[in-house]
Amino acid sequence: MLDLQLASLFTVGFLIVIGLFSAIFIDNVIKKLMGIAFIEEGVNLFIVTLGYKEGGIVPIYLPGMDANWFSSTAAYPLPYGLVLTSIVIGASTLAVMLALTMVLYKKYGTLSASKMLASREESELNE
Amino acid sequence: MNELIPIMVIIPMTCALLLSLFSNQNKLIKGLAFFVAICIPIIPLLSNYGLHYFGGHAPLISNLTGVLYHPAVTYSFQSLQKLFIFLLGILVFLVVFIYINSYKKASGPYLFLIFMGTAAITALMLSDDIFHMFIFFEIAALVQVGIIAASSIEDRYETALKYMIMGSIGGPMLLLGIGILLAITGSVNITDIVYAINHNLVSMNSPVFLLACGLIFFGWLYTSGLPPFHTIKSAVYSKAEPHAAALLQAFTVITLVSILIAMFRIFSNLPIFEALLVGFALLAMILGISMALTQNDFRRMIGFLAVGELGFIVLGIGLNTEFALTAGLFQAINEMIVTALLFIGFGVVADLIKTSDIRKTGGLIAYYPKLAIMILIGGFSMAGVPPLNGFQSKLMLIQASLSSGFPEISIIAILVSIATFVVFVKVFYAMFLKPKPNDLVIPNKKVPRSTIFAMAILLIMCIILGLFPSIITGYISGFVGGLL
Repeated sequence: MLDLQLASLFTVGFLIVIGLFSAIFIDNVIKKLMGIAFIEEGVNLFIVTLGYKEGGIVPIYLPGMDANWFSSTAAYPLPYGLVLTSIVIGASTLAVMLALTMVLYKKYGTLSASKMLASREESELNE
Repeated sequence: MNELIPIMVIIPMTCALLLSLFSNQNKLIKGLAFFVAICIPIIPLLSNYGLHYFGGHAPLISNLTGVLYHPAVTYSFQSLQKLFIFLLGILVFLVVFIYINSYKKASGPYLFLIFMGTAAITALMLSDDIFHMFIFFEIAALVQVGIIAASSIEDRYETALKYMIMGSIGGPMLLLGIGILLAITGSVNITDIVYAINHNLVSMNSPVFLLACGLIFFGWLYTSGLPPFHTIKSAVYSKAEPHAAALLQAFTVITLVSILIAMFRIFSNLPIFEALLVGFALLAMILGISMALTQNDFRRMIGFLAVGELGFIVLGIGLNTEFALTAGLFQAINEMIVTALLFIGFGVVADLIKTSDIRKTGGLIAYYPKLAIMILIGGFSMAGVPPLNGFQSKLMLIQASLSSGFPEISIIAILVSIATFVVFVKVFYAMFLKPKPNDLVIPNKKVPRSTIFAMAILLIMCIILGLFPSIITGYISGFVGGLL
């Protein structure tokens, strides 16, 4: 059976590649943003995977615990702390991008990036 | 007073929140913004050099490995941080001064963005923790998008979204690189990572370490607006209000310098690292000036020139000698001052005549003579004309590249400076000297006094630093000695 950490790293690679493809090659702005969310979640999953320890315990030191046993058994807590902040940042970035997409949809009446560009170039030529 | 180190971040951040909270009370937010804008450059002058450990958690020695590590987020305040945060404070003061004098009703959310961006960039400069730097860089990127969206210039939303989409690719790559460093060193504290590398706890030639270097380098290219992200960065500058563009480019320069110093500390032992830096520096210089030469929009042109000037900073760091590093960091200080001056000057002209197309302008020297003279001197400084500050830093960079055994680099630097001069003369002639086109309407409006005041301050700084560069280089060389 595939090791959980290795499987997780494959998933990270898969998410990032799909996300990059979507963000770069797909014309629909919403789908681009979905691709970006894939990339962000892929990176978050990578950081979570770093802290994984097979058979590890939650890294909270309770009274009565043996310090040596705890330090050899507990999962590494730093990645979990980091990933929480990263999720918040990712969510706010995505929210701002969606808000900007709404404004642009109202302006151009389309979600196609190429049609938006063509419409802008046309209006520049008319000026 | 080491307690003042975190205060440099806390004060603008608290001010930002208060400005947003009391956004309906015009007089209060104007007064508060002005007061805090005065305090921001004063705090770094009062603070002592040193380290601040959040939560009071000082470094510990691990029982298991015997290695010294930092359990808390650490802020490091040295002479370079003092210089950059002081200069950022001066720019924030000038920007806030222009803003509150230009608008009868100040916008709380807009001032929130200015102060939150200041707090984020200050934290970025102080932090000795690479993940902390990433977080504040992301906050600064969101602030920049907000500032563009708040401007009144057409196509601002398109530029803001494009910048965010590119950032959402560049940012996670930076985070992935940080994650890999965390995986191989077990820490995100830069001092701890450097310790692990210097004590051979990490193999520098391992593909994973090289991958981390590549990913962080890619993320840094985005944060700094270096190629391939130079077009979007120059578009960002051209879509912001004039005073905001001045602040945004200062944010970019400080972001570039702080992440570059972090990368330099971690990766400078990799032979490929210096080559990468010099390569991208030359690319930025050449692409920046080439694209500026083809522009008809003078705001966009200044944006590209600003990107080209970033190349000079990176070149100094990439040459990796004490003199070159000092020259590169001195160039960063000069770029912040000169580009701010030009963004404000050109932006005000564009606001007054309602166009930034040099084919539609002309004869403006008769209407705005003071502005023309200040823009002229600023442009000369950027091109490296003596005795201005740009000349001093560029001369140092050319001397550094010659003494490092790269005369071809110094030739490229001289050619780029000449091309900058040509671009500037072309645009100055088109705007101020050639006959006024018949269809150009000059409004019966004077240049705001606050703008003239801000530009005059920046101009005085250009001249003083040009005549007495040792005021700055003394601080920088003290820091560089410690870095090497």
